[in-house]
Amino acid sequence: MWGRIRRALRAFRDIYEAVYFAPYRSQIHREYAHQHDLFLLLTTSDLLGVPNPVEFYTLELLPEAMEQFHKWHLRMGLESAPEGGFRCC
Amino acid sequence: MLLNLPATPIVFFGGKGGVGKTTLAAAFALHSAEQGARTLLVSTDPAHSAGDMLEVPLGDETSEVLPGLHAVEIDPEAEAERYIADVKERVRQVASPRILDEVEREIDLARSSPGAEEAALLDRFAELMRTAGGTYDRVVFDTAPTGHTVRLLSLPELMGRWIDGLVSRRRKVRSLGRMWRNVAGAAAGTAGREEDPVLDALEERQARFRAAREIVTDPKRTAFTFVLTPERLPILETRKAAAALERSRIPVAAVIVNRVLPPDARGAFLTRRREREARYLDDIDRELAAYPRVLVPLFDSDVQGVEGLRRVIAALEDGA
Repeated sequence: MWGRIRRALRAFRDIYEAVYFAPYRSQIHREYAHQHDLFLLLTTSDLLGVPNPVEFYTLELLPEAMEQFHKWHLRMGLESAPEGGFRCC
Repeated sequence: MLLNLPATPIVFFGGKGGVGKTTLAAAFALHSAEQGARTLLVSTDPAHSAGDMLEVPLGDETSEVLPGLHAVEIDPEAEAERYIADVKERVRQVASPRILDEVEREIDLARSSPGAEEAALLDRFAELMRTAGGTYDRVVFDTAPTGHTVRLLSLPELMGRWIDGLVSRRRKVRSLGRMWRNVAGAAAGTAGREEDPVLDALEERQARFRAAREIVTDPKRTAFTFVLTPERLPILETRKAAAALERSRIPVAAVIVNRVLPPDARGAFLTRRREREARYLDDIDRELAAYPRVLVPLFDSDVQGVEGLRRVIAALEDGA
């Protein structure tokens, strides 16, 4: 009896927390994804024809940038890499 | 050291093409070596006349040309190749095999643009500057014509700022990633992890730029010496370049006026030239008043070999 009540209360608290946090969670995630993409853009801007003054000093970042680029075009619903970008697939 | 000329561990010689940078840099380096300082003469001028001046073949590797005097000629193309090879090596350790070919293709593409040589040169410069006060007591740079050198020396500041911006952005990404990780748990994947190879690579760059910048702006360690001839265009160019260096807070230590007509040169033609020259020397006094000045006369034959350089040293000793 008491066990069921405790379980029900816990379930209720979890739901309450999830509902309470949901907007914050999505906000945080949106902000994180936004900053992440902005960083990607800054380090690979030359792909879009925007000169990147530190291109030669950041060549070591290419593997990471390419992985992120790959994830990005999948997220955008593009099966293969768009023309003009990295030819990751 | 020579009167009015810098005694810092790192000395740059710069100026317009053809004014005698190589001659004066070589003479200065020779004098420095003869005074007992282990000296390295670095030629970065693509024309590479330092070897011709010293009458020894110089190469990409440092070699001892005279007791205590070492010399090296930097080839921007070879530097770029080495730089690219080095980047590829580092990338190979972190990139997944799936994308490695594509990453290498991108790096090769970057190699073909002019910025690659500049970046590679800056790296080599920084490396050689670090040997001053260690392997060598003095490192003397015979630089490429003015514009190029001024840009190269201001690069650590310009690029450093950009890298600073990237580092702070990346830190922001990481701290947001951490927040996301706190609310999302396992769903956050790699977001907000403590180790971040991207941030590490950027911070290493940042540290290198800072170190280079500290060296070139420290008047106790670095001095820039301009060479010019008493003519209109070299004066204008030197004034502009000196202002650009001041803006970047790179210390300018002296101005060497080369090929001044000696008083015993006579004749109507030379007298007219000397009148003109006197006005230019006045201009130099006025417009470059902030810097100590050294005069070197025009010799009756072109300066060649160690004997020729000794004549220049003698002139530097009483040319102040």
